[in-house]
Amino acid sequence: MSIRRSSGLVGAASLALILTGCGFSSESGSDSSDKGGTRVFAADNGKITIPAAPKRVVATGYAVPALIEADAPLVGISSWKRGEPMMSKEDLAEYKKLPKVAGELATETNYEAIAEADPDLIVIGVPAPVLGDIDVKRLEGIAPVVAIGPTVPSAWRELSRKQSDAAGALKQFDAAKNTYEDKAAELAKKYKDVLPQLKLGHVGSYGDAAKGTFQREFNGSWGTNIAEDIGAEYYGKVKKAGPGSQSVSEYPSIEELPAAFREADVMTYSVNADGSVPKSVQYVLDSKLWKNLPAVKAGKAFPLRYTEAATYGEAVVTLDAIDKSLAPLLNR
Amino acid sequence: MTAAGRAPRASVTGRAGPQIGLLLGGLLLLTVIAVLSMGVGARHIPPAEVVRALFDHQGTDDHVIVRDVRLPRALLAIAVGAALAVAGALIQTLARNPLAEPGILGVTAGAGFAVTVGSALGLATGQAGELGFAITGSVLASLLVAAVGQRSPLRLVLTGVALTAVLGGVALGMRLMLPDAFDTYRFWSVGSLAGREQAPLALPLAAIAVSLLGALLLSRALNALTLGANVAHTLGAGVGWVRAATLVLITVLSGAATAVAGPILFVGLIVPHLVRRPAGGSVPWMILYTMVLGPILLLVADIGSRVLLPTGEVPVAIVTAFLGGPMLIWAVRRYGAGSL
Repeated sequence: MSIRRSSGLVGAASLALILTGCGFSSESGSDSSDKGGTRVFAADNGKITIPAAPKRVVATGYAVPALIEADAPLVGISSWKRGEPMMSKEDLAEYKKLPKVAGELATETNYEAIAEADPDLIVIGVPAPVLGDIDVKRLEGIAPVVAIGPTVPSAWRELSRKQSDAAGALKQFDAAKNTYEDKAAELAKKYKDVLPQLKLGHVGSYGDAAKGTFQREFNGSWGTNIAEDIGAEYYGKVKKAGPGSQSVSEYPSIEELPAAFREADVMTYSVNADGSVPKSVQYVLDSKLWKNLPAVKAGKAFPLRYTEAATYGEAVVTLDAIDKSLAPLLNR
Repeated sequence: MTAAGRAPRASVTGRAGPQIGLLLGGLLLLTVIAVLSMGVGARHIPPAEVVRALFDHQGTDDHVIVRDVRLPRALLAIAVGAALAVAGALIQTLARNPLAEPGILGVTAGAGFAVTVGSALGLATGQAGELGFAITGSVLASLLVAAVGQRSPLRLVLTGVALTAVLGGVALGMRLMLPDAFDTYRFWSVGSLAGREQAPLALPLAAIAVSLLGALLLSRALNALTLGANVAHTLGAGVGWVRAATLVLITVLSGAATAVAGPILFVGLIVPHLVRRPAGGSVPWMILYTMVLGPILLLVADIGSRVLLPTGEVPVAIVTAFLGGPMLIWAVRRYGAGSL
């Protein structure tokens, strides 16, 4: 089916689906399907005709952990070291077994290796600005390409669903989502008398904090969005919102630390998966300004591990880590 | 005391009064700017509060910012500014080349190469690691340049340029292949005074202080060298040891400054030009003036780095580059090409 010729039909089909109460299509980005084994899928790079049930999928970037977790029929993936500590044993074994067709960076895409994998669908999970580093035209000569990259950090929920949908692997995705939501509801109940009454502040380690600055993360950022699901409220908002993560986090001078967190009842900060403190965070923790914060003086500063979760499976690991870190709040 | 040392001193004796006045005026201006710099930043603190924070510390947030963040930063600016400016005056005198600057000895390239290697090996992590590798790299590079180019100023300059090109090329290749090394280097490579307050600065700052003293002691012997090696030798100056000692001082001064703040260009080039006229051709006065004007220039640039953008700080090396170019052009126009 030609995308251009079928646009009217696609619109009509989409409308019909919505009107009949099937909200699935708009959420997934899938606009229509036909009996010829293909469907039109709305991705960052336009409306793409893809197989209705892909058999050989190549995934890169954020799509890697999402599609491994969803048991998609993967034949090649990019390297994704940052997700390794959060993968289950089975997923990690699968991740290590799968052929690597790209490195950690978009510029390290191995086009010949992708062609050799002979995919019928390529799912690229990189942010829109990074898409320019990939020769999408060349990839389109191999298989249909759908780009589904992160926007704001908390959007991993919708994005991982969309990636799983494109790869025809929603069943396992829904199971992981339900597990996460049950766990989050259980913890929200556990902390309901404590967390909703508190104002929290978070020092993050994501991105590149220049010397003399720190990353402050607000609601919806990497270090905060999963804790929000159990009732945490990271107060305040960025001074000047930018695109993507810049709408939920900022990098002020260390001199602004007291003003930023003076009202915080509880402070949290990102640490590595092994519990070690990243150097940008250590710089803040070693500052006398940090030690002067009311929450820190009151002993209410807690490290958070696994703050880079971008799938429901990974987020369950994060929930466990948050529960372990914030447990002392229940005893006060 | 050698004849070489006595002759130039006598030539400037009659002008010592105004020159001392100018030096004291410079010191006063430096003090005022240093206090002002401690009041400027992401959080405005009035000068009176700055003085209270220094002499009557109450532990408030403002006092902690002044004592623990801005005071170390101002002291660092003073030390780095003096080190780079004096190193510039020494290299221009030694190489008898007004366009020479400390980086010409391969100091900056050596430090950058070492930081890249350290990052690639996973050893240059944290401020102490970066500092150690930068110092080691700058010392080794300048020792190599000095060993190869010791026979003549021209050979010294050419060796420095060649080594800088080689180290820069190899380091660039490594950074392109190793993203983690590139990540570490890109922050280090833009000289800045921000966020250094927790770094182990005692040793590099002590080395700078001792070297500044050494530069003053050596400055009178350098006066003779400005007349040429043959004349200096005739006047009784030990040309060989003066050159060797000057190279050591340049290495320590620029190496320590680059290690603690990253590469900051133009200070070593422009400051000696700005003080040449008031120094009246006297190397000792030029060294003294650069010791005061270098810190003033860097403090002003650092204040600018904090207030120029409403969204945050600009690294001070970018401000000095913006200031340095126009100032060099101004110096040439004001004093004529003869100043070069």
